[in-house]
Amino acid sequence: MSLGDVSTITCPFCGLACDDLPRSPAGVESRGCAKASQGFARGLTAVDHRVRGIESQLEAAAAAAASILRKARLPLITGLGADLAGIRALIALAEKAGAAIDRWQSSAQQANLEVIRDSGAFLGTFSEIANRAEAILLVGRAPGEAYPRLGERLFRNRAPLYRTNPPWVTFLGPDAGAFADLSLAEHLACQSGGFVEALGALSGLLLGRKLNAKHAAGIPIEALAALSNRLKAAHHSAILWDAAHFPAAEREIAVRILLHILRTLNRTTRSVGLPLGGSDNALGVSQALLWQTGWPSRICFSRGVPEHDPWLYDAERLVGDGEADALVWTAVISPAPPPATSLPTIAIVAADTAIGGTPDVVIRAGVPALDHGGAIVRADNVVALPISATRSSELPTVAEAVREILTRLGEDAP
Amino acid sequence: MIGCISGGRIYDPVHGKSGVVSDVFVEDGRIAAPRDGGRVDIRCDASGLVVMAGALDIHSHIAGGKVNLARLLMTEDHRIEMRSHSAIARSGSGYVSPSTFATGYRYAAMGYTAAFEPAMVPSNARAAHLEMADVPIADKGAYVMLGNEELLLQMLAEGAEQEEINDYVAWMMHATAALGVKTVNPGGISAFKFNGRGLEIEQAGPHYGVAPRRLIQALARAVREIGVHHPLHVHCNNLGVPGNIDTTLATIAAAEGFPIHLTHAQFHSYGTEGDRHFSSAAARLAEAVNRNPNVTIDVGQIMFGQTVTASGDTMAQYRNHRLASPDKWIVMDIECDGGCGLVPFRYRDNNFVNALQWAIGLELFLLIEDPWQVFLTTDHPNGAPFTSYPRLIRLLMDRGFRNDCLAQIHPAARAATVLGTIDREYTLDEIAIMTRAGPARILGLADRGHLGVGAAADIAIYAEDQNRERMFEAPRHVFKDGVEVARRGELLAAPASATHIVKPDFDAAIERRIKSFFDDHMTVSFDHFRISEAELADGGVRVIEHACRPRTRS
Repeated sequence: MSLGDVSTITCPFCGLACDDLPRSPAGVESRGCAKASQGFARGLTAVDHRVRGIESQLEAAAAAAASILRKARLPLITGLGADLAGIRALIALAEKAGAAIDRWQSSAQQANLEVIRDSGAFLGTFSEIANRAEAILLVGRAPGEAYPRLGERLFRNRAPLYRTNPPWVTFLGPDAGAFADLSLAEHLACQSGGFVEALGALSGLLLGRKLNAKHAAGIPIEALAALSNRLKAAHHSAILWDAAHFPAAEREIAVRILLHILRTLNRTTRSVGLPLGGSDNALGVSQALLWQTGWPSRICFSRGVPEHDPWLYDAERLVGDGEADALVWTAVISPAPPPATSLPTIAIVAADTAIGGTPDVVIRAGVPALDHGGAIVRADNVVALPISATRSSELPTVAEAVREILTRLGEDAP
Repeated sequence: MIGCISGGRIYDPVHGKSGVVSDVFVEDGRIAAPRDGGRVDIRCDASGLVVMAGALDIHSHIAGGKVNLARLLMTEDHRIEMRSHSAIARSGSGYVSPSTFATGYRYAAMGYTAAFEPAMVPSNARAAHLEMADVPIADKGAYVMLGNEELLLQMLAEGAEQEEINDYVAWMMHATAALGVKTVNPGGISAFKFNGRGLEIEQAGPHYGVAPRRLIQALARAVREIGVHHPLHVHCNNLGVPGNIDTTLATIAAAEGFPIHLTHAQFHSYGTEGDRHFSSAAARLAEAVNRNPNVTIDVGQIMFGQTVTASGDTMAQYRNHRLASPDKWIVMDIECDGGCGLVPFRYRDNNFVNALQWAIGLELFLLIEDPWQVFLTTDHPNGAPFTSYPRLIRLLMDRGFRNDCLAQIHPAARAATVLGTIDREYTLDEIAIMTRAGPARILGLADRGHLGVGAAADIAIYAEDQNRERMFEAPRHVFKDGVEVARRGELLAAPASATHIVKPDFDAAIERRIKSFFDDHMTVSFDHFRISEAELADGGVRVIEHACRPRTRS
């Protein structure tokens, strides 16, 4: 028997979570991906924990954090850019501190969640699309920068099991940015803010409706009709979108129409949807929240139970409207600093995070895939991947740092 | 520390104890040998109470991606049912799709000390284990879903030898840290991805031309020959389709005498008789089970009310999506190895089909003679949430109550069932078999499901009550590994639980085949598909490996 050693590394630096990066004594090969290349080259510039600017031990920083949380009436735990162990610990902290918990800038993911739970969905995972999809509709903005290897991994994979030709890839969206990797067959350029109109027209055409208009959001109806026929004729198709690319005003409706299109297509053929996103382990956050609390996002524990309200407990709103009175900011997968606020702030950040101002507590924690191993969830919401350390450092993991705070919070609890 | 549960009436079918008054000694989390006199540190007075081993749920969807999607869909369910955290417990929400902590607490409070997740999609195994790590108190294990992976279909289409299939199955169990193997609509989930909307057991599937019969035969044999205790756990083709009894009986035949477990058999025991072309075929399945000792079933009883169906069977879930209540549903194709579908459902006693489904489940329980061959499940949450078990036990033990309920269902369904003519009432011995001894034996958990010396001290103690629902819903005491975790339904402690796995032997040569498939086609690397032992134990999860039988050659 054998279950041998692992020879490649998982990259946590975008939602694709490519797990095929070769590891050698020289480091991690990025396979041409700028995000991986930057991510694995991140430095260890600051490793000191600080309390009000003064260098401190982790224990003292955790005690100071606990003291802030005890005084707060509605602490907000946000950022949440950590591996699954870190997220699970942060949920425990939110519960114990009676805090609200939500990712930062989570409106795009929230739109997908809202529409899916309200109307259902027809979804697929990476390997399904890579092996079956004959036609692919990509909606939004050019995803090249956000997901550098999307085309390589999902559209042009080496040996698809079932499709015999490369997929016909249609891009529907306003800009013609970084497409180099995507092997686009066509670009249906819609006006900015025209997603609902263009997708609405496509949905009508798929249902066999006659449209009198000659254009929808600037796209000729004939082109949408041809797309509709192509999707219906394909044995298997996939629709990919990034809700963050839709203007806020049309985000939910656009997602709703996309899911409707998928239902229509599946009456006669097969088609799956894939909401893109998932950077900073965003799907790991919604997964862990769902299993631990029953809710995917925007939860508050101030009354002991996990209460969910997509408007009330939106992290940005809680800060913007002055309702949160303390902030726990956690971001290590990306070096994002805490948002500029006047709130008492506990920042659990990476060693290369540049912090403006002086948060009350700064805890420098390890970066998953650099300083420690663990697991993250890929953008298709199904596959959790193991990550492993690629350098050695003394930094605590987010989970360890949070457990320190939890311990202190328990000590002085009434 | 030595504990003694004294004076209780013991129901331990494995040791032939049926209500005998005796003391149970506990030491270091295990049942200890009786001792006369000597030191006892803690005594639990069980005089007049009923003492059983902790119950095991052989089939309950408690974790994994599809359960999370169910939670997402069941918004109202989570608003209605929220629980606060306490000094010993974490918070949670949900009734039909509860969060993980709530799942563990509720099972424990009901006297259940283990529950097994029956539909772990291989590519979702890591996520499922991470999630199961957050189910406290009740032990867990998972059955890996095989029979729809493109690789297995490819191997069978190429005429792979049984030995190679055996290696593949054993490797998959290792890689996903499984306790058993389940097949869901064998071949049908893959067929659905090729736009197949139905698949009969003898029908060649798309692309590979492999029929479900071949998959069942190969997998049932593989599981047996690699020495895994739990027989192939089968969710038959044609779930929910009127007339599917023929498929179900053909599935038994396809196993060719190898042990086979038919799960949620209620959903697979339908005929086509009557004006509505939907009838009970429970008697036909019961007869087949009575005749074939290699066959076990769990029932998948439905109970009236709101629930959500969560299944790997995308084909069936898509077929049933028009019945969704509320009207929203999710279907997902997964990683060339499986799928999942979520359809919220409200079973109504005034609906002919639902009412007859209810009666068919009870007919199965009552017509199958040997309680070692039938296990109590609702296919949580598909037939009903697991919290309805106490009521189900009452339906089985109390004919008067059963007939009162029967009187309230749709009259045409009442006329179409023989339920009212069945006098049988389950005894406490039989309940102990079907909820403890039977599941433990069929899962190969030698130290569970009984109260013999050396067994895990997982013990449930009930106050006698003629209202069996009241008796079973809040045991007087529940012990997990010797620690009292619940009393009269109230949580006392919430220790972490264990994950049960097996590691059958395989020939490493199979790894070349699997690796090349992953290298060529998959978006996850072969190396990362496998869950390492260190990962599994990460975060302090206790892993209990059960020995397999020696491998036999075909």
